[in-house]
Amino acid sequence: MLLAAVLLAACSGPEPPQLSQGTLLPSAKPVTDFQLTDHRGQPFTLENLKDNWTFTFFGYTHCPDVCPTSMTMLAQVQRKLEQRDGLDKLPQVVFVSVDPERDTTALLSQFVPYFHPGFIGASGDEQNTLNLTRQLGILYGKAEGSAADNYLVDHSAAIILLDPDGAFRAVFGIPHDADLIANDFLAIKTYYEATQ
Amino acid sequence: MKQTLLALIVSAWSLLATADATLQVEDAWVREAPPNAHMMAAYMTLKNTGSGDAVLTQVDSPAFGHVMLHKSEVVDGVARMIHQSEIVIPAQGAVELKPGSFHLMMPAPEKRLVEGDRVDFVLTFSNGDITRVQADVRKKP
Repeated sequence: MLLAAVLLAACSGPEPPQLSQGTLLPSAKPVTDFQLTDHRGQPFTLENLKDNWTFTFFGYTHCPDVCPTSMTMLAQVQRKLEQRDGLDKLPQVVFVSVDPERDTTALLSQFVPYFHPGFIGASGDEQNTLNLTRQLGILYGKAEGSAADNYLVDHSAAIILLDPDGAFRAVFGIPHDADLIANDFLAIKTYYEATQ
Repeated sequence: MKQTLLALIVSAWSLLATADATLQVEDAWVREAPPNAHMMAAYMTLKNTGSGDAVLTQVDSPAFGHVMLHKSEVVDGVARMIHQSEIVIPAQGAVELKPGSFHLMMPAPEKRLVEGDRVDFVLTFSNGDITRVQADVRKKP
């Protein structure tokens, strides 16, 4: 009886962490390949997710309120993680444009590193952007009543966490708190490593 | 000469702006934007100590070509900005223009505004009252 209980405990593995702000997916969802270009003009694909933890946020550079708020918050998360001992590698933070028409590589190269020099900006054509957003449950579209060259874009405000296998692991809905997200990230990372 | 000119501008500005005693503006700031950003946002707290609602209908600024009243909302996880024709500050109440909520949206000027710069705004209310506000450019969430 005791042996059975011990075996059961051993097989069931560690318990998933209780998160303060994020929602952990019951099972990680692998992402299939996508083709984007980063803010330096280099390809950004599934390969860039491998061996890195990645926070992704979807926005556009003409967005003056929600996007800078989230990017500044993510920079705070990064700074909090930089101060943690024992963290071998910081997660990468990727801003994916939902406005590829206007968000040129040149614009992204000034917008994204402004918030943190290590941040990555990525964009692609409509098909490639949708290929990634659909896999991550991100919605976006031009706001109703928009003019051809002067428009707003509605977009999911969630921050997505991808694991070093390139799988969708957790989602952080709004409002975002840098302390809570940093703590949740460490808990998810510890859990992931214990289950490998 | 420069000082005289500055004094003249300040006097002219003061004549334009009539302080409304029942409307107080606190903590006005403009978010510093990345280089070459197209849009900027400004925030402030509007307090109405009067007995009637104050209705903000227009904001102007010599620093920006155009100032729009906006509100960010997140509905079912999707963030969107909605143009506001007015912002009502209830009697004896306050409205906070803050990130993720009501804000002013402006096309960024050609000369980039950076932390430490100061920007003037003129708030016009539906009863014709105007309030002059000076906002700091800040780097913050």
